Amino acid sequence: MLTVLIYGAVTSAIFAMLAVGFTLIFGVARILNLAHGTFYALGAYSAFALTTILKVPLLPAAILSVAFVALFGIVMERVLVRPLRNSALAVLMITLAVALTMQQVLFLVFGSQSKNVPAFINHPVTIHGVSVDGQRLVALSIAIVLIASLWLFIHRTRVGSAILAISQDAEAAQYMGIPSNRIFSLVMGLSAALAGAAGVIAAPFLTVRPTMDLVPMITAFSVVIVGGLGSIPGSILAALIIGYSETIVAFYWNPQWTGAISLIAVLLTLVLRPSGLMGKPISL
Amino acid sequence: MRRLIPFLSAALLSALAAGSPAKAAAKKPILIGIDAPIQLQVGKDIVAGEKMAIDEINAKGGVLGRKLAYVVADEGMNPQLGVSAINKLTAEDHVNVLIGGFSSGVVLAEEPHIAQSRTVFLGVGAASPNVTALVGRDYNKYKYIFRVNPLNSTLQADQLIGFVNNVVKKKLGRKKIAILGESAIWVRDLVPVLLKGLQGDGIQVAYKEFFDESMTDFTPLFARVKASGARYLLIIIGHANSDTFIKQLYESRLPMPYGGIDVKSMDPNFCSRVGGESIGETTVNFVTRAPITRKTIPFWDGFEKLYHRAPVYTAPGGYNAVHLYAWAVRKAGTTKAGPLIKALEGADYLGVGGRIKFDKTHDVLAGPGYQNILFVQWQKGCKRVVVWPKELASGSVILQPWLGK
Repeated sequence: MLTVLIYGAVTSAIFAMLAVGFTLIFGVARILNLAHGTFYALGAYSAFALTTILKVPLLPAAILSVAFVALFGIVMERVLVRPLRNSALAVLMITLAVALTMQQVLFLVFGSQSKNVPAFINHPVTIHGVSVDGQRLVALSIAIVLIASLWLFIHRTRVGSAILAISQDAEAAQYMGIPSNRIFSLVMGLSAALAGAAGVIAAPFLTVRPTMDLVPMITAFSVVIVGGLGSIPGSILAALIIGYSETIVAFYWNPQWTGAISLIAVLLTLVLRPSGLMGKPISL
Repeated sequence: MRRLIPFLSAALLSALAAGSPAKAAAKKPILIGIDAPIQLQVGKDIVAGEKMAIDEINAKGGVLGRKLAYVVADEGMNPQLGVSAINKLTAEDHVNVLIGGFSSGVVLAEEPHIAQSRTVFLGVGAASPNVTALVGRDYNKYKYIFRVNPLNSTLQADQLIGFVNNVVKKKLGRKKIAILGESAIWVRDLVPVLLKGLQGDGIQVAYKEFFDESMTDFTPLFARVKASGARYLLIIIGHANSDTFIKQLYESRLPMPYGGIDVKSMDPNFCSRVGGESIGETTVNFVTRAPITRKTIPFWDGFEKLYHRAPVYTAPGGYNAVHLYAWAVRKAGTTKAGPLIKALEGADYLGVGGRIKFDKTHDVLAGPGYQNILFVQWQKGCKRVVVWPKELASGSVILQPWLGK
């Protein structure tokens, strides 16, 4: 039972990191970013390149990787997304193109073989008789700290207030003197950084290969639909529900059915409550 | 213009003479079609092994006065892509022979198209017995298909039973095992044979599970293995992500040793790729740098010199297949399928991993002197040690670091 509680918490935390960034950029800029999984993959590959190829120690490598992914997100928003923001379809297409292109770039640069990213702790930790992979506990702790920091940043700072204002009414916020384009870039950077950080902390115990972006993308999408597009608390709640459901199914039934959980949750949400658990058009 | 006519006529006549069918046919190279998943290491090494053999043969003047050339088509891990690759190689490139194939599912989908094209196919990567079973079922249609490498999964199961009996049961004293295998055709063909053999030898299978090849978190499976009370974990993985599997297995600190068939763990860089977390894992391999035949070490060293890395098992497969094909063409005196098939059926050719001889279904034989399976364990410093069979062993089996001695 304790095993399920711990592993469920880790899975939920990774899902939450992916989903919060995804929902944040939708809530503020109304962008459905299909390259969100790419941020996750770039985080993992940057950590691999820095630690294994350039021999940078793990902690600075992790920080640099997250910074790199944030920068990538900002550049992507500025150069590719912003000129097309008036058309939701064009944004979908350009972000999909980024995802596919980056997948091929990773193939060409790093090859098809899986890569190893070192763990912060690579020995098991025993909690009340249950042996848990130490890196998973590190991942859980970092996820909680990052999501809590983001929450505080949005609700306790002036920039956070500007983000909230834009999420409620971008046009009105702009009339009030809030530089919306700069806020969009910042939010894209934050969203990318969160997904990149998820990639960095999950890479030591999950798969690092060029196609690793797809499953996190689907998971983030599912969590956000269940939680309600644009709602951070909704995403966290949905991440907990889906994360724990997958863990329970994997441990007590069959691990092969875990992928179906997200789809069932999405279907049920769309039928029973299309706006999601906490979905309001404008809520952060 | 009139002055130009004699020159143009002479030029035209020269061109016709140079391009006359008889002369072109005499110089035309023998074209080998390589179908392989070129984005994977196993696929890259099919190409690398074949290219090495082609260069060696061409350096000695080729075959029947003709050079060998090759063309590659990506079959991926997808039956549809595989069929397109075969159709391209046979219908567009008009290759003389097909040498390649990795995934059993893909090769099985390709086979009707290979048969239809009446092109000889030498398989070097797929292990399902069904790949050559078709030859037995409908010889006239499928006689073009041969498997040079690896041993089929039924033969692999037999050798796995030998390993469990001699090493797991007798040496490690463990009679209760669990089996985790990917849900692939070759594994589903292998496991029933394995179960029958193990039960006959008094081994208890406490837990058995097939998992999806796309799975990335194996921790729940390991929890079940642990709960089953098994004392050895037998793993059977070919296409699944074994890097992640082995890392998670190592970090789970299961209270039992493990080993079996792990295709990616045959890669020379596997141990470093997973940060040394494959230490203690035993996996089958089809070749290693050992004097298995007089050709083994020269092949191994030649490959390393050429590519600056060690080969994976498909490289000697491709290398053997090209040399075997050249031998058969010389023997038949032609590249035509009919006489070539007869030559191959009568072949007894010494390859890198043993003698290559085919049974009635065109499947490569196993056993003493023929191709065999080696059980190789990753040990301290990411060194590979052959632990079984006894006559080729270069060291003793060790336990995982947390299990003590």
